[in-house]
Amino acid sequence: MKKILFTLTSLLLQLAAFAQNRFPKPDFESGYQYPDIQYAVPNESLWLVVDILLLVALMSFVSWAVIRKQTRKPIIWVSVISVAYFGFFRSGCVCSIGSIQNVALSLADSSYILPISVLLFFILPIAFAFLFGRVFCAGVCPFGALQELVNIKNYKLSKSLTSALSVIPWIYLIFAVLYAVTRSTFIICRFDPFIGIFRQGGDFGLIVFGVLLLITSIFTGRPFCRFLCPYGALLSLFSRVSIWKVKITKKQCINCELCHNACPVDAIKPPHENKVKENRLLGVKRLINYAVVLPVLVITGALLMRYASNDLSRAHKDVRLHDMVMLQEAAPQNSLSLELEAFYGQGRTVAELTEKVEKIQADYRLYSTIAGGFIGLVIGITLIGLSTKRTRKEYEIEHADCVACGKCFGYCPQNKLEIKTGTLTL
Amino acid sequence: MNGKNNPKKSPIERRKFLQMLGTAAAGGSILLVAGGLASRINRAEAGLYWQIDPAKCTQCGRCETHCVLNVSAVKCIHANRVCGYCDLCGGYYRSNVKELNTAAENLLCPTGAIQRKFVEDPYFEYTIDESLCNGCAKCVKGCTSFGNGSLYLQIKRDLCLDCNECKIALVCPADAISRVPLDVAYKLKDE
Ligand code: SF4
Ligand code: SF4
Ligand code: SF4
Ligand code: SF4
Repeated sequence: MKKILFTLTSLLLQLAAFAQNRFPKPDFESGYQYPDIQYAVPNESLWLVVDILLLVALMSFVSWAVIRKQTRKPIIWVSVISVAYFGFFRSGCVCSIGSIQNVALSLADSSYILPISVLLFFILPIAFAFLFGRVFCAGVCPFGALQELVNIKNYKLSKSLTSALSVIPWIYLIFAVLYAVTRSTFIICRFDPFIGIFRQGGDFGLIVFGVLLLITSIFTGRPFCRFLCPYGALLSLFSRVSIWKVKITKKQCINCELCHNACPVDAIKPPHENKVKENRLLGVKRLINYAVVLPVLVITGALLMRYASNDLSRAHKDVRLHDMVMLQEAAPQNSLSLELEAFYGQGRTVAELTEKVEKIQADYRLYSTIAGGFIGLVIGITLIGLSTKRTRKEYEIEHADCVACGKCFGYCPQNKLEIKTGTLTL
Repeated sequence: MNGKNNPKKSPIERRKFLQMLGTAAAGGSILLVAGGLASRINRAEAGLYWQIDPAKCTQCGRCETHCVLNVSAVKCIHANRVCGYCDLCGGYYRSNVKELNTAAENLLCPTGAIQRKFVEDPYFEYTIDESLCNGCAKCVKGCTSFGNGSLYLQIKRDLCLDCNECKIALVCPADAISRVPLDVAYKLKDE
């Protein structure tokens, strides 16, 4: 009952705030006509169609170039087009990377409206990754393309550093989803380092970060893709098991190592012979070890994140407002912050806000626990990956990491000596 | 083809099998997610647009400073049909004004974006020059407190970049900014 009364009064208050006819409508005698106001309509929908068509066209083109033709030249053109169109012209919004958050939110909360273009931006590159590998990353993603275009040298980072840093995209992905499903904020959009460059404006700190990343990518391939991009992490799952796969050469590898040095993302793994042959017993022992370590990590992660969930929930605006209101109620201050002014001005009550915040915090407890479990899982799998080595006879592409840029094709001598092999052997 | 008889081959075979399993799982999950979301999408719009709810806005002034654009996509809009055409306009003049003339120190708008035209005694028409307005909400505050509330702020769709997350919405103290579908159009006051 109290609640109903309260909603009624707040409704009345709102109505009163809306229709303040302090002064009557004038009776014009001179035949004055109200001016016609034209509101500019967005022509967005048209551009959205162009976006999607271009996305599919460019990805198909790249697929054809890397899978069928094994050539890199078209990819450079695709990169230029992508940076110009998706980057500078369309100001990089909404991009596939950010779309993760919209999709996660709409999966968690069916009342959230997911625009169809956002769904397509999310699912199409994944579908292509499933078919042909990460052809989206090759040059269609404006962020990847930008880094690729400025890349000149390719200094390799140490293996341990690379594997430690490559956990970050997964953690970033997990937190992005956590903050999205709790309707707190879209951190991928908020901390996007390149959008400021494309828009030539925006948060100064982020632009500096973006420029630093670009300078880094002059010397080593795609730092953002390898150590930050959450969408890249997602794509790597599908690229790992894709139906058609990028091959360095269609002929026999001669183990010359040239391609190894060319790969900007260090995806080409050298041949490796497992010295100690593992017998059955050892193998079983190893499996048991994993079976113990993984759950322990998952549970630890889940518990830690659950413990931190109340602090994490401060990312939500209403939780912060609630903190402010509590402070104010405990020790009333005369000069109110803008938030408090709006809160009291709109006639909202503390009880209503508390109820809302409790719901948010309950959400946080659930989702943080799940997120913590995933963080444990990611760390566990990375550790396992470090401790096992596969036997390889020749240079092979690790398809999870390969961004289908095609740089290795040109370095492989087997791709060049197509003709006259017969005469040469003579 | 038994793993025991041919130990050299077994890891390769196993790997191939796992690959196939992975492929099937990946393909399945794509179909699942796409299907699940597509069933939700039919009622949704091609696009969604950030709009201010004028009834909630408290004219805090953050719209001017927090838009990602160098000059905010938020502009003042004047609903003529709500306006009282007053001489002493609460959105045009400062509240402590002594003489009703157009000297800059008397006017609220810091950029001179509000134009005033005499219609007939005692009415004046006010128009906003959008190219000058920076969305600071000063006039809106004046008009909401002392007038009919015909001046209000709105995100202009032709200027707004449709950020996936509006930077102003993040800091709006009144929670006045939300994403609305196309058919809701502008949240206008004079309709
Ligand atoms: S890894 Fe991310 S940033 Fe890099 S190209 Fe792929 S989607 Fe773009
Ligand atoms: S930030 Fe919100 S309250 Fe402040 S002027 Fe903009 S819409 Fe109004
Ligand atoms: S006072 Fe501010 S919001 Fe009003 S017209 Fe001038 S610049 Fe625009
Ligand atoms: S969506 Fe972006 S461009 Fe539009 S008003 Fe908000 S911050 Fe400004």
